[in-house]
Amino acid sequence: MASRPVVNAPPTVALDHIEELSRVAGEDGTLLAIRNQARACLVPLELPNRARHLWRYTNPARFLPESDPTAVAPIDVGSTWRLDEPLSVAALIAGGALRLVEVDATARKAGVVVEDLHRAPAGDLLGTVVPASHGFLEAINTAAWRGGVLVRIPAGISLEHPIRLRLVAGGLSLPRVLVVAGEDSSFEVIEGHVGGDRGTGKVIGVTEILVGKGADVRYGLVQRWEPGVVGHLTARARVLAGARFQMSLASFGGAAFKADVGAFLAGEGAEVETYGVAMGGDSQHFDHHTEHIHEAGKTHSNLDFKVALTGSARSAYTGMIRIAPGAAGSEAYQENRNLLLSENARAESIPELEILTDDVRCSHGATVSPLDPEQLFYLKSRGLPHLQAMRVIVYGFLDQTLARLPQTTRDRIAALVAARLHTD
Amino acid sequence: MASTPTVADIGSDYNRRYGFHDPEEYFMRTPKGLSHEVVEAISLLKKEPEWMREFRHKALDTFFAKLMPTWGDTAMLSEIDFDQITYYVRATEKQETSWDEVPENVKRTFDRLGIPEAERKFLAGVSAQYESEVVYHSVKEELTKQGVIFLDMDSGLREHEEIVRKYFASVIPAADNKFSALNSAVWSGGSFIYVPKNTEVAIPLQAYFRINAERMGQFERTLIIADEGSKVHYIEGCTAPVYSTNSLHSAVVELIAMKGARIRYTTIQNWSNNIYNLVTKRAVAYEDAVVEWVDGNIGSKLTMKYPAVILKGERAHGEVLSIAFAGPGQHQDAGAKMTHLAPNTTSKITSKSISKGTGRSSYRGLVKIRKGAHGCKTSVQCDALLIGDAARTDTYPTMEIAEDQVRVEHEARVSKIGDEQLFYLRSRGIRDDQARLMIVNGFIEPFVKELPMEYAVELNRLIELEMEGSVG
Repeated sequence: MASRPVVNAPPTVALDHIEELSRVAGEDGTLLAIRNQARACLVPLELPNRARHLWRYTNPARFLPESDPTAVAPIDVGSTWRLDEPLSVAALIAGGALRLVEVDATARKAGVVVEDLHRAPAGDLLGTVVPASHGFLEAINTAAWRGGVLVRIPAGISLEHPIRLRLVAGGLSLPRVLVVAGEDSSFEVIEGHVGGDRGTGKVIGVTEILVGKGADVRYGLVQRWEPGVVGHLTARARVLAGARFQMSLASFGGAAFKADVGAFLAGEGAEVETYGVAMGGDSQHFDHHTEHIHEAGKTHSNLDFKVALTGSARSAYTGMIRIAPGAAGSEAYQENRNLLLSENARAESIPELEILTDDVRCSHGATVSPLDPEQLFYLKSRGLPHLQAMRVIVYGFLDQTLARLPQTTRDRIAALVAARLHTD
Repeated sequence: MASTPTVADIGSDYNRRYGFHDPEEYFMRTPKGLSHEVVEAISLLKKEPEWMREFRHKALDTFFAKLMPTWGDTAMLSEIDFDQITYYVRATEKQETSWDEVPENVKRTFDRLGIPEAERKFLAGVSAQYESEVVYHSVKEELTKQGVIFLDMDSGLREHEEIVRKYFASVIPAADNKFSALNSAVWSGGSFIYVPKNTEVAIPLQAYFRINAERMGQFERTLIIADEGSKVHYIEGCTAPVYSTNSLHSAVVELIAMKGARIRYTTIQNWSNNIYNLVTKRAVAYEDAVVEWVDGNIGSKLTMKYPAVILKGERAHGEVLSIAFAGPGQHQDAGAKMTHLAPNTTSKITSKSISKGTGRSSYRGLVKIRKGAHGCKTSVQCDALLIGDAARTDTYPTMEIAEDQVRVEHEARVSKIGDEQLFYLRSRGIRDDQARLMIVNGFIEPFVKELPMEYAVELNRLIELEMEGSVG
């Protein structure tokens, strides 16, 4: 049986300084109203039912802020970030505020807008993909987020270089990201989560992406927190007709990490691909949830998620493919593979399907297995030492998925995988 | 262009085919609703030993204390009104020993189901459960000679109390879930089988169950013990007439396969579309034992059934092979559970479902491997076929793996009857309705071929009947 939380005092979350937070950040009335509505969702605070798959393997109380997130003032942190690659946009969120924004000349000329979300006119978009009703952590973020960025790419614009967002964990962070891709735009955006000094920190992040008709968006979510960080990230895209959305997920760091990511295929012919790798060691706890919701007809989605675990790391994966009535002619595929590299590693996998119409093609597969002794034997017979052979096999296992990513993201994640393989 | 042919609904046509029901003639029935008085009355009437009486009362308290499941089809579950159900009805006063002595009205019901022929030709022993108690029971001489015990559960308790007391509720405790608690409190009938060491029961043991009273629940309790090195195949099949109000069926089935034993348990569940079929089935497999659940769910309004095997001894093997057919208004929430506790145990789950009209079929499964159970292998395969754009299928598999030296595989596929398949068959001169029947039959073939011949014939005929006249 999965462990159930011990119910002591009912959980609470204090959100007493919303007005002040909003005023100091320079927000307009619409944003404040959204915050107050979200707070109303949290009275009384109800933690998710752990009998449901989504929270079966991770205690939701672990992500609750210990102090009032609205009472924390932004901390002035030095915004040091060495940019050594060509980027269209670089934006840094640290210490509860947007610290640094660089937009290259081409992007600026094309009309790309990168704004502090607190001051941006985004009241009609915020919460349209991830509403406060999504869950208690999304409601807490919507009520109390601090430090946010709005990236808006005009219609018809293609960016050669990626957009890089860096979010630094520290103390209690509630960042918010909103990406709006205009019709027929095409670009790559990478959201990198780092930081967490002295092995502490708590993060509750929400990212919303609106993918306009015919657009092509490649989104990377790379989590490499310092050990000790506890964090929950929610990311959702709404993908309109004829658009393509590709998500790359790479999870490496933190003590306990839960990700709730996915896409709504909201317009006919929308295409979504999600490719992910997670590498866990020591006593890390990962819990990934993916959702592909087919709302419109002739939509296509594919998911490939790989997990490699060492030490006494634990991973739970729950995936949902839902095909709504009327989404005829849709196809959806889902695959989750887990490699257990040590005797204390542990993996859970729940790939779910909910199909509400008949004109579909759907399949999913999941496996949990150890290193293949035959592969290991083969490599060792070619003179590779045991550790080296193991690394080759693990790299090969993950590389099948990485090979599907856009080149820049692939190189970056491959480097992180290699670094991780050599430290464990 | 002719309009698209549609498949008739399995399970919707009982009035014509099985929809007879005899006037209810009862010698004893408890009042509607559930209370300690009802439980006391059942126990008293059955002249049960004190420990069973206490077990029932304790189970009833557990039932009252437990909440309804918060998962699954909670909307359908919430429609069950426990106060409107009669928990015990007995059709005839005493146990019959030969077919001739079975009362005429009971016989009429079985005649229409084709039992006598089946019995003459194929059955080793018939334990026909009419209402809540066994009315007819014949065990072939050779079984008795082999030392095989095949009784209804009530007789089993009377005649072999020491065995029953040792194993009853040892696999499924009363507190396992709300419905096992309910069954434990008001159980009546079911089968009790004991197969001695190194004994092979050559012919399948069969029992027919039937619900005949409106708003009446059936709570049979089956316990099968296969001693070391023995082998037994048990077949449970059910059908029921149509009634307007909902009826509840909540069985508990416990199987114990000792070292090297082999049990196969085959069910064809074909309740009418107003019945809630909430069943707990679980087996324990010791060293080198094999347990196979062959499970067909065609009828009922809502079925929730997840046959389980606890693989307790090294090299034990568990298998579940199931099909589900959900016609309009039906929800087949079926699945399987495999718990690997010992090293080198293996399991295989194959689940096939067909959803038609507004029918919904769900696969809900659990594969669990405990730490230290190295060398385990398990594979799960789910296939779903959808007929009609309002049909629904869900797959909710769970894999919990706490050991690295294991192999776990899960695969699921969902499809409709393909236009290419139809086109191919049509181009070979096969009519549309025949083509559809061929595709559906091909889909369930792996299940059908595991059934004894007469059941395979019956199932094929049922599918065929429903596919007939399907061209609009």
